Amino acid sequence: MEGSVLVIGGGIAGIQTSLDLTELGFKVYLVERTPSIGGRMAQLDKTFPTNDCSLCILAPKMVEVFRNPNIELMTYHEVKKVSGESGNFSAIILKKPRYVDETKCKGCGDCATKCPKIEVPNLFDMKLGKRKSAYIPFPQAVPPVYLIDPELCLKINKGVCGVCAKVCQAEAIDFEQKPKEIELKVGAIVVATGFDMPAEKLTSRWGYQYDNVVSALEYERILCASGPFGGHVLRPSDQKEPEKIAFIQCAGSRDLHEGIPYCSSVCCMYTAKEAIITKEHSDRSQCFVFRHDIRAYGKNFYEFTQRAQKEYGVKYFQTKISKIKEDSETNDLIIHYENLKTGEFNDFQANLVVLATPLVPSNGTKILSNVLGIELDEYEFFREKDYFNKSKSTKDGIYLCGFCQGPMDIPETVADASGVAGQVAAFLNSVKFEHIKEKQLEVPELDIKDTDEPRIGVLICHCGINIGKYVHVPLLAEYVRTLPNVVHCEDNLYSCSSDSQARIKELITNHNLNRFIVASCTPRTHEALFQETCQEAGLNKYLFEMVNIRDQCSWVHMDDAEAATQKAKDLIRMAIAKSRLLKPLREELLKITPTALIIGGGIAGMSAALNIANQGFKTFIVEKESILGGNLNYLNVLYPIEQNASDFLNQTIDLVEKNENIQVFLKGKINNIKGYVGNYVITIADSNSKTQDLSIGTIIVATGGKEYKPKDLFQYNNQNKNVITQLELEQILKEKGKSWLTNINRITTVLCVNARQLEGITYCSNICCGNSIKNISLLKKLKPELEIVVLYRDLQMAKKKYEEYYRERRKDAIFLRYDLDNLPIIKQINKNPERYNIKFYDTNLQDFLEFETDLIILSTPIIPADNLEELAKMLKVPLDRNGFFLEAHVKLRPLDFATDGIFLCGCTQWPKNIQDSISQANGAAARASRFLSAKEITTSGIVAEVDPISCIGCGKCESICPYNAIDILESVKDFEDISLNVKKSFINSALCKGCGTCAATCPNGAISIKQYDFNQITAMIESYLLET
Amino acid sequence: MEKIYDPELRNLLKKCYQCGRCSGVCQLSKVQKYTPSKIIQLILEGFESKVLESGELWDCLTCNQCLKDCPVKINFADIVRMARYKMRHESNQSSDEFVAHKGIYTTISEIMSRPYINPDRNMDWIPKNCKVSDKGEMLYYVGCLPFFNYEFENLDSIAISTLKLICQIEKKPIVVFNEEICCGHDIYWGQGKLKTFIKLARKNLEKFKKAGVRTIVTACAECYRTFKVDYAKIFDEFNENFEVKHIIEYIYENWKSQKIEFKNPNKSGEEIHFTYHDPCRLSRFLPENGNITNKVREIFREFKYLGYQFNEMAHNKENSLCCGVNSWMNCNEKSKALRYKRMQEAKLAGSKLITSCPKCNIHLTCLQNDFEDIASIEILDFSEFILNHVKVIHPKGKGD
Repeated sequence: MEGSVLVIGGGIAGIQTSLDLTELGFKVYLVERTPSIGGRMAQLDKTFPTNDCSLCILAPKMVEVFRNPNIELMTYHEVKKVSGESGNFSAIILKKPRYVDETKCKGCGDCATKCPKIEVPNLFDMKLGKRKSAYIPFPQAVPPVYLIDPELCLKINKGVCGVCAKVCQAEAIDFEQKPKEIELKVGAIVVATGFDMPAEKLTSRWGYQYDNVVSALEYERILCASGPFGGHVLRPSDQKEPEKIAFIQCAGSRDLHEGIPYCSSVCCMYTAKEAIITKEHSDRSQCFVFRHDIRAYGKNFYEFTQRAQKEYGVKYFQTKISKIKEDSETNDLIIHYENLKTGEFNDFQANLVVLATPLVPSNGTKILSNVLGIELDEYEFFREKDYFNKSKSTKDGIYLCGFCQGPMDIPETVADASGVAGQVAAFLNSVKFEHIKEKQLEVPELDIKDTDEPRIGVLICHCGINIGKYVHVPLLAEYVRTLPNVVHCEDNLYSCSSDSQARIKELITNHNLNRFIVASCTPRTHEALFQETCQEAGLNKYLFEMVNIRDQCSWVHMDDAEAATQKAKDLIRMAIAKSRLLKPLREELLKITPTALIIGGGIAGMSAALNIANQGFKTFIVEKESILGGNLNYLNVLYPIEQNASDFLNQTIDLVEKNENIQVFLKGKINNIKGYVGNYVITIADSNSKTQDLSIGTIIVATGGKEYKPKDLFQYNNQNKNVITQLELEQILKEKGKSWLTNINRITTVLCVNARQLEGITYCSNICCGNSIKNISLLKKLKPELEIVVLYRDLQMAKKKYEEYYRERRKDAIFLRYDLDNLPIIKQINKNPERYNIKFYDTNLQDFLEFETDLIILSTPIIPADNLEELAKMLKVPLDRNGFFLEAHVKLRPLDFATDGIFLCGCTQWPKNIQDSISQANGAAARASRFLSAKEITTSGIVAEVDPISCIGCGKCESICPYNAIDILESVKDFEDISLNVKKSFINSALCKGCGTCAATCPNGAISIKQYDFNQITAMIESYLLET
Repeated sequence: MEKIYDPELRNLLKKCYQCGRCSGVCQLSKVQKYTPSKIIQLILEGFESKVLESGELWDCLTCNQCLKDCPVKINFADIVRMARYKMRHESNQSSDEFVAHKGIYTTISEIMSRPYINPDRNMDWIPKNCKVSDKGEMLYYVGCLPFFNYEFENLDSIAISTLKLICQIEKKPIVVFNEEICCGHDIYWGQGKLKTFIKLARKNLEKFKKAGVRTIVTACAECYRTFKVDYAKIFDEFNENFEVKHIIEYIYENWKSQKIEFKNPNKSGEEIHFTYHDPCRLSRFLPENGNITNKVREIFREFKYLGYQFNEMAHNKENSLCCGVNSWMNCNEKSKALRYKRMQEAKLAGSKLITSCPKCNIHLTCLQNDFEDIASIEILDFSEFILNHVKVIHPKGKGD
């Protein structure tokens, strides 16, 4: 077995799984066929429903991959051949020539600046922008390494030019590079190859051949500030601002005739987002969405689509598109459509049309499936081995995550990616840590006392010509040498090169330096490197300070060299002022108790427990009921694979019970939670109310949800036996034979009961449509002559296979659409046997309909489990406004709480189906076991510190700390004639992230952040204002 | 400057015969070691620089309890104020570590002392039916209340109540400055920035003159004392040119001259017990001591007929306990202990605590967040308390 993993695809799925895998103890080879990681998410402008800048939240993760010593980043590589088997794969990877030596390239971009202006469409900008032969796909690309397009390059094609080689001061240009094959030995393979969004075929009906019809991904680039139009919303034909923009939904998908039968899952949401951003760009623009169903089933999604309409005035039409034609004079588009609400056919003139085109497995998926020997499904996504474990491919040892397995949004992808990491970790458990590098420092740390005179060394970087051309570096160095405490200052071409690292170490030793400063590029990518170099020379890494004289100086003042030089002087002088006050900081080692507690023994909790236990850690499950299984106990048959729920549940319970690492507390109750990550003490009462304390390292919350009981709605009450909820139907189907249907001839299912409203429960709970549709066919099988009516609003059948699952069952029932303006009115017309009259407004027919029915099934939303407030308080984690637990970040940290050491999965976070609950459970298990695998964690030196004398115990810091790192401790203090309960703030450095929110909030200035304390910052400001 | 500052501190202390009474009554000495008599002795013996360098004078509450009990009337708080100037300028000390709220409020005052900086103050709080103007005879000097609003709740209500009271009684529009600046109290007492104080005073005087003001009404004990005593020290004939009135005096005078009467439209059967916290600036800091302290009590006794029972706290009038903090200096557990003591006394005296200093109000209210046992006491400003109980008596004969 090999303790290393090959991850194919460097999008968000590949990035997340790679990062998690290294923390779980595995070496990762991350192969990406394009020149940069980042994938599709890097191309997006913003992300729904929070409208965070997409690249801003992704870039830190990309940089983290770049810096991770246990990830071998292989961009512009392709997987050619894979042999061997599970645990011992051998892979041949093709390294494509960049014609730039990535070990030498500093990403300065001089080559691209000088490269002759022969341009081709830039793929990153969806061919809307242009690039030269020497290029980097986008400014934040990782690795920050350029490459040369051999088809365009004059030197490679015609033997002329070669100007890039002349200007590259790093001598990184290498026209002689040839493709190279590399062989890797890995224990497991993760496939995360994502999706494409082709629109080329959408010509006849959708008009993609016209200039002003763009795909949604192209539109993302148009919206983006770094996009082809610099963030101005312009249409391609004449680069004028469009006023009327039409967004066409389901353009080419959910349509058996166009070859894409499934729903791409994310288009309804990104359309709402794109429309909102468009409105934010320009008040004059008007956005029109030509919709089908609105599928907004994720957390805060439905509310987001409502906001688009109410707050931003985006107009939604329920339509069917017949044809899109161009007006050849204006290049406007004429959309010929049928309004499904009025039945009329109309023409709509738009300046720009954005097509929500189908998302399909990425180009090359088929070839890769052959290389890996794994199967594709009918849509050419990778096929999962087992419906309830969608991460496993059809071949052992090869795993799937993200969109290559089926449509999903970013949080689902991230959860999936963590889940795969967890499964790989369990599978390769015996070879964990075998290929992991851990750095050992050879030089002991120098003892620097506060009283020692600061001896500062400064290195100033030219960054090729990036800094050197605009800032007069030699003059700058001369100036710096005159500043107090500067013992040595020199400049060089690239401070980040490996010979520069050797030089820094030499300088520290030879000049007996006790502070070091590098003035160069951004600390985001390079601070860790320089800190490490200082450490290697025995200097505490917190005595290093970095000054950004490139991004924030030379780049923004290119037109004024003198001012740029002056600013660089100021910036370095300020850093020196701070440097004098730096203190060596200690990083503490924190032991982690290698145990996990899972709160909730439903399918999510059990799956998480199994994963952690299979990674070799002791795991406890606390379940409040007397049996494991949660809601699964009440289910009959699971869709869409039609498996018996109790079979599936019993298999899982069996695995849990047989696992030696798992201990279950049935009828258990958590009485108290103390401590913090790695060191919790949890008091649990068992079924006999006997309490015991458990030492726990991490906690996973999997408390599930429950079905809403629609009391007094639609005749649902204790008397009426024939008005039941969907879950009650499940139980009846499970327990009774078909005799109970004897007197029943017509059944009516009402969807969205008390859900997706303007007030109260405003959300869509995701699983009710699928569940109801499943039960239609089960009922029909029991009694084929049954007549079934389904009253629905929008059908949320977004997952792979669901669309067809639903289409197949359309024949079993009559589907009638109603809307929120006219809820169905249900009256009882006979008591025994029960019989009901239903009157409702059919939005398709534009008329009121009335009919009678014998049985009514109400689909109600999932709501949070009982008493979550109490648990949330004990855990000190937040609930959202619907009462579900609130994760750390809706997009990129869907399984974490902001507090380290506590995780969540399943319906406790949001209503979801079993497949997703299990995937999330594995993901939460992986996130949790990163801590358990680490055995100990190193706390950062940059943490907040309280001065107990100044602290007045007001508690403002405690309530504002995003990481729950602060506790207010009380003690009694006696004064002459009064004794007082004195409160003091206490900061747990294990949890503190050094964000400084508390220091800014403290009314008494009692909190300071090490490395960024008030004295240091004041010194910088004073140095700027007072010294010259 | 010489009118408010004498560099020879010793000269001011010579009468001291070390009876030690000051150290005995010092309110701060109940929560930490603090002996004014010893400090005085050290200065007299020539160790002034040692005293200044130790920084212990930053701790003084400047509550004036010692002056009240001093047989030879040594004004220790005034010495502290001047010493703070010296500490700043001679021993290069900063008050930064003693000043609460990171010095934001005193910084705001300092900014306002600059010649060309005038705030554009939010006037939204002014009730619709109150007529205000930028010129006129009577000025309502709001003080720093609106600046505290973002940190402390509902302080506008003091300003609103006060302005409503005045506007009910007066016929002409009341002057409220959009560009009102700080009176300088905290800079003067807490920070020892005497020159800044003079700048603020000059700017204020100019504004008063420019608006044609004759009477200045304020609801703030600190502003009142500052205008009445400290501005008068700097500017000759300040008190001749301007009549400074605390809202208590203003109401008292109108009541006595029968322009208003006290009524309780919502009087219920049960008597409400309440008490009054004398701010030091109104009880121990005024030349004609006892004037306002007695006037306010006279009003409160009248409230007996309105269904209120006024009770004194154990320490009252000139012996009133400190609210714990002075001039935004030294918010810490010792200050909390002082406040807690005060609130314990209040708890015994009634369910409402009335004060006439917004700062006392803030400090005592703040403590309620910390201690549940005192949280139920309702803390009100004088103006808020009486607002709905004042009825204007219209002169008869005009259509009545």
